[in-house]
Amino acid sequence: MAPTKPQSSKSRKPPSSGPKGKVGKSKPKGPPPKPQQVKTKRPTSSAKPKRKVYTEKELDIPKLNMITPAGVQKPKGKKKGKIFVDDQESMMTILAIVNAEKEGQIESKMMKARQMEEIREARRQEAEARQQHKREKLEETKDLIRKSRKRKSDTTSTDAEKVAKTEKPGKKRVSFG
Amino acid sequence: MRPLTEPETRTLFTKLASYTGPSLKTLLSPPSQSTTTSQSQSTSRHVFRLHHSRVYYVRESLANHATSISRHALLSLGTCLGKFTKTGQFRLHITALDVIAPHARYRVWVKQNGEMPFLYGGNVLKAHVGRWSEDCAAGQGVLVLGGGDVAIGFGVTARSTAEARRLDPTAVATFRQADIGEYLREEDTLFTTT
Repeated sequence: MAPTKPQSSKSRKPPSSGPKGKVGKSKPKGPPPKPQQVKTKRPTSSAKPKRKVYTEKELDIPKLNMITPAGVQKPKGKKKGKIFVDDQESMMTILAIVNAEKEGQIESKMMKARQMEEIREARRQEAEARQQHKREKLEETKDLIRKSRKRKSDTTSTDAEKVAKTEKPGKKRVSFG
Repeated sequence: MRPLTEPETRTLFTKLASYTGPSLKTLLSPPSQSTTTSQSQSTSRHVFRLHHSRVYYVRESLANHATSISRHALLSLGTCLGKFTKTGQFRLHITALDVIAPHARYRVWVKQNGEMPFLYGGNVLKAHVGRWSEDCAAGQGVLVLGGGDVAIGFGVTARSTAEARRLDPTAVATFRQADIGEYLREEDTLFTTT
């Protein structure tokens, strides 16, 4: 009974206290059953303080694909809260940047509009030219037909011409009662 | 009441710049500065202040005085330019007309017969346009002027000047954004802060 109690107390405390550790080292001096028990516990007690505690960064563990909301992310080393712009210089720089952007936008818009206008104008002119060409062709064919008719009329007898003349107005007339 | 942050300033200037030209700089540094003394410079300097999501264009000395009034008790100060929406956009109010009008880049003159429809909240029709600035692109902010060159509001062009010439008379030439009729129509909500 008596030897067991000190054993238990020794086994618990050795890692923290130095002298008891020494006692542990002087195991051979003590009775044989004691060192056996101490031996078994010694490696655990000596290993604990030696074990290096690694941080997550040191271990290079791949990070889990966890999503952190945009509002939660806080950049380190940055000032907390809003940063106001109240001095004239910074306001002027912002204004200059904004103005330049706007100018660029307007310029590009105008360029686009002008190009579109040019394209439209070209298309319109093309269409007009096509229409003119068509009209000319039509006139030409009309003239051709007229000439051919005149020739025919010249060749035919005067009686036939008279008949044709009398017939023509009759044919053309249209009346809706 | 607080000064604007950088993104807020950028948003505000972008909106103002769509209506005004490069002369917008004079808002920040009035041209009379060079002639006045250094003390009056600081007092005549105007700043932008955000209060209850509304942006005010205020004389700096007045803004400094206003700090002595508690936030909930302060209703308004200076000229209200507009307000920030919950999505971070900026809406110009009709009260900003006096700030925009002298610096406007493009203008549309409305005929006498088109003034009333516009002041009742209608868009500017092509038939109502007296004349407009040349080389104006579509979707560009324009100042709407009535008879006697009086600014009666502002809007956004529906078509570019060249395209608008070919429009039929009943087509919309300029979309209304704000008109001075709002002072009566929006009387209840124009100056309220929630």
